[in-house]
Amino acid sequence: MKHVKVCVLRIEGTNCEDEAATAFASVGVSPEKVHLKQLLGQCPSDLKRDLGSYDILMLPGGFSAGDYVRAGAIFAARMKSGLKKDIVRFVEDGKPVIGVCNGFQILVELGLLPAMDGTMSEAPEAALYTNDSGRFECRPTLLKQEKRGKSVFTSQIPKGSVVMYPSAHAEGKLMFPRAQQKKMLERLLENDQVVFRYVDPDGEHAGYPWCPNGSLHNIAGICNPAGNVLGMMPHPERVLKRETHPDWTRVKWKEDGDGLSIFRSAVQSVR
Amino acid sequence: MALDHLFFKRDVPFPLVDIDLAKATDAELKVLSKDMGLSLSLDEMRRIRDHFVSLKRRPTDVELESIAQAWSEHCCYKSSKVILREHIFGIDNGKVLSRGDAGVMEFDDEYGYALRIESHNHPSAIEPYGGAATGIGGIVRDVLCMGAQPIALVDPLFFGPLDHKGELPAGAKTPKYLVSGVVAGIRDYGNRIGIPTVCGGLYFDESYLGNCLVNVGCVGIVKKKDLRNNAVGGVGDYLILCGGRTGRDGIHGVTFASAELSSKSEDESRGAVQLGDPITKEPLIHACLEVNSLGLINGMKDLGGGGLSCVVGEMALSGGCGAEVDLDKVPLKESGLAPWEVWVSESQERMMLAASEKNVKRILDLFAMWDVDATVIGKVVPGKHVTLRWQGVQVFQVDLDFLTKGPEYCRPCKIETPSKTIKEVRPLLPDTKTVLLDLLADPNIASKEWVFRMYDHEVRGGTVVKPASGMMNLGGPSDATVIKPLPDRERGLALALGVNPWFCGLDAYRGGMASIDEACRNIIAVGGYPDSFTDCLNFGNPEKPERLGELKQAVAGMGDLARFLNLPVPSGNVSLYNETAKGSVLPTPTVLGLGIVEDVRRCITTDLKKEGNLLFLVGETKEEFGGSAVYRRYGAKGGVVPEVIPERLKRSMDEMHAAMKKGLIRSCHDVSDGGIAIAVAEMCLGGDIGAEIKTNYESWYLFSESNTRWIVEVEPSKEKEFLGCLTIPVTKLGKIGGRSLRIKTEVDRTRIPLKEMRKAWSGALPKLMG
Amino acid sequence: MVVAEIRIELKPGVADPEGKNTKKALELLGFNDIKGVRSIKMFEIEMDADPAVARKECEEMCRKLLANPVIQKFRVDLR
Repeated sequence: MKHVKVCVLRIEGTNCEDEAATAFASVGVSPEKVHLKQLLGQCPSDLKRDLGSYDILMLPGGFSAGDYVRAGAIFAARMKSGLKKDIVRFVEDGKPVIGVCNGFQILVELGLLPAMDGTMSEAPEAALYTNDSGRFECRPTLLKQEKRGKSVFTSQIPKGSVVMYPSAHAEGKLMFPRAQQKKMLERLLENDQVVFRYVDPDGEHAGYPWCPNGSLHNIAGICNPAGNVLGMMPHPERVLKRETHPDWTRVKWKEDGDGLSIFRSAVQSVR
Repeated sequence: MALDHLFFKRDVPFPLVDIDLAKATDAELKVLSKDMGLSLSLDEMRRIRDHFVSLKRRPTDVELESIAQAWSEHCCYKSSKVILREHIFGIDNGKVLSRGDAGVMEFDDEYGYALRIESHNHPSAIEPYGGAATGIGGIVRDVLCMGAQPIALVDPLFFGPLDHKGELPAGAKTPKYLVSGVVAGIRDYGNRIGIPTVCGGLYFDESYLGNCLVNVGCVGIVKKKDLRNNAVGGVGDYLILCGGRTGRDGIHGVTFASAELSSKSEDESRGAVQLGDPITKEPLIHACLEVNSLGLINGMKDLGGGGLSCVVGEMALSGGCGAEVDLDKVPLKESGLAPWEVWVSESQERMMLAASEKNVKRILDLFAMWDVDATVIGKVVPGKHVTLRWQGVQVFQVDLDFLTKGPEYCRPCKIETPSKTIKEVRPLLPDTKTVLLDLLADPNIASKEWVFRMYDHEVRGGTVVKPASGMMNLGGPSDATVIKPLPDRERGLALALGVNPWFCGLDAYRGGMASIDEACRNIIAVGGYPDSFTDCLNFGNPEKPERLGELKQAVAGMGDLARFLNLPVPSGNVSLYNETAKGSVLPTPTVLGLGIVEDVRRCITTDLKKEGNLLFLVGETKEEFGGSAVYRRYGAKGGVVPEVIPERLKRSMDEMHAAMKKGLIRSCHDVSDGGIAIAVAEMCLGGDIGAEIKTNYESWYLFSESNTRWIVEVEPSKEKEFLGCLTIPVTKLGKIGGRSLRIKTEVDRTRIPLKEMRKAWSGALPKLMG
Repeated sequence: MVVAEIRIELKPGVADPEGKNTKKALELLGFNDIKGVRSIKMFEIEMDADPAVARKECEEMCRKLLANPVIQKFRVDLR
């Protein structure tokens, strides 16, 4: 079996890297927490790293650079100015890239999502904007897997099944420019880019609090047209084991948490 | 009074003043203390004068300011130390690994856990957002400097009533404004640094109107081999200051904390409120933990109250050494600071490292990668003196024994127990349904979901029992929260608060005991076993004998019970002078209890699980209504404060824990505010299912807040085995089922639909906060 | 030296929770005659550059980092 290398990328304010690394470690691969400056060569020489040497790139959640200016904007701008070529090559090689929460915001600001017209758009084509409630929302969310075709992240999550990944964000409402909202959504659906949508316990698309942010079309996570870049607001890395689910003391016990399958799928795709 | 004749400006190219204390009269000493913002008493000023007279020289402004910091109530606990030593210190069950800036207890063979709670009251009363945020920053550093990774934050908060209409004490802000600001400060800081805020409390009482209390606790996890002392390693160590830059913010924070609030506090003390910067803190945590786990440093300590002036002396003294510091090397936020300002500034997000020369370069490189400032500012030297230079000129040289052995007082203390002197007046109660719905909507009992959903309580992916228990988005309250600190181990920590200021107000001794009892029963309720405590003692002005009496009694109650249980209190904090012209806050000893959970997969939650299961009351209900929610709500007076029988608590803990380990209990909730009725109602809300309970007493008994009690759910098939486990009193209350709570007492029957209970309980806080 | 003031505001129709919440906070402090509060972000950037160049660079900064065109518009003023 191939030795799979995972890069968990971080800067100051990234704060979900430990559990992101644990997620990959618990599906049997060796993740490495890498500071952006290690990829840019701005560090002692023994710490320098090359993005191309990794098989999977993970952008964890947090408040990178304090989310000042806009959530994810500074991390994205720094990546774009110093690493653009490497990232484009990484994506075009078909390697999996996953961004969770702040990582999703970064992928959108970076133009890697939705990326309907090429690998990386020049300017952001979407925004993850302030929740309708105007508040940070930390609560359980149920997601239905709605991708019609195959994706590197969902091979172990059957279409139509519902998973529980908790949300914790203040800016998770997916938006397109107002005038093009409808058209962009149609293209997104047509391209089979919608991966996860918020649902209630009956599996129906529902409003607040089941959709914590008022996102367009209840969208929780999208991928690029090729399916190897995934961004999502909820946190699969927080539910690797059943005991971190919100209602685990009420239901029949099983060891695995819902979050594992997404990491298993990604790793399987590069093996 | 002009004091110019005492000040001699030194002929150097920077501000430096020698102060001729020897010539100062008593009256002048008093004015000097006030004008310089030193908050020192006349006796203390005389002691400083005599010290410098014996040295045959005048102190510099740097020296005088520094001593004032070190001798402040906040830094040296001069009013409380004698009491704490008598009752709290020194309980040791052999599992205490450290009593440093945070206490550290044994977690398992390989790891320890760190814990501490402290107050950030006065800054939060002046500037709630910044005050609360920097409170978090400070407590996180206390845990970090032990070498521990912070893993959980805890925030008990105390305010005036949200619907307060009348006059406010001069200079005070509305409770609603303070709550919004404090919660936002905790949210923005805690969420940004990625430490889950898992546990807390919101308490409302008139006494907090002018002086809110903001207590912040932090728990961390540390490999025993990485555990650091807050001390230098030895002579030759370099002192590396890292993190944020130093500015004028936070000057005189500790002296400000050691005085009563007044209408002028806002204008006079803005400078004492620091500004936090979570995005300097977050990488600072990474960098400090990284250099520590690589074995590059010998000691570490955070800069909190008193800033550099406290940290350098304490680190050197703990290592049995002195230090020399080039103060002008300290990186500044703005130019033009005088040496004394740099020395006592409490600017946030700073840590001091002590490292051997050979490791300095690697440390500086790693900090540079994280874009965090790190600067060598001094060196550890033999002897017992700290010497400071500024542009090569010596501006400070003080004997560490003199500096750090601050005064200690046995102030006069008057013990009053109002519950024994006030005649009990029972209120007339409306029908049981009305009482229950009123209490569910009482802000002290109502759901705190409005708050904790704004805190990221799940970051780090280890929160097993969360602030809400039960159905998704319908949960009831949890008794304790449970964290799994290490991804590869199922061993966990239970965190629970215990505090009842109303009990303490009527009987501080029983109130102190009750706070420990509450923390214990909360931990037991989730399947953990109490292991240690940390406490934040919020009281009024200790120079008033009756205030100090409250402190003494509460501490005695806590200490007596903790000692009986043989559970240590390896860290804590005292916050005095919590009063305004209108009076003192209720005596508020906040206890954070930590429990060990052997296997988090066996945890129990409060939500009712299954129709047909039985409900039991464990423990004894007595006619103890003093300070209870029902008495407060309906304007009663006096009453007996619930007592704790230490032997009974210990036996209850052991038997309940054993029953849980055998898997006999499906859900469990401790009985506290609002008594049995509220406990059962909350369990119904979490499970979204009703229940039927019956008691042979009058409805009064439903609302008694006697200590050491739990409500438990047991499957009918396990009833016998469950009862066989217990020698403590246990009563069958009823069973689970239906869509309402039905209560039958000796005198009446009540039926309250779930829907109405949920509306009252969930709707109250959002409605008040608008 | 020129000083550029870059003003970032929400496009019409985009909700402004920060403005809304600030309004609430101000009312709690006793300011009762507020009709509306809008949050607008301002960056002041000091530059050593020719005004024409400075303007161009600032616009570039907005495109690269300071504004997301999906929700925000910007204006650059030099003084």
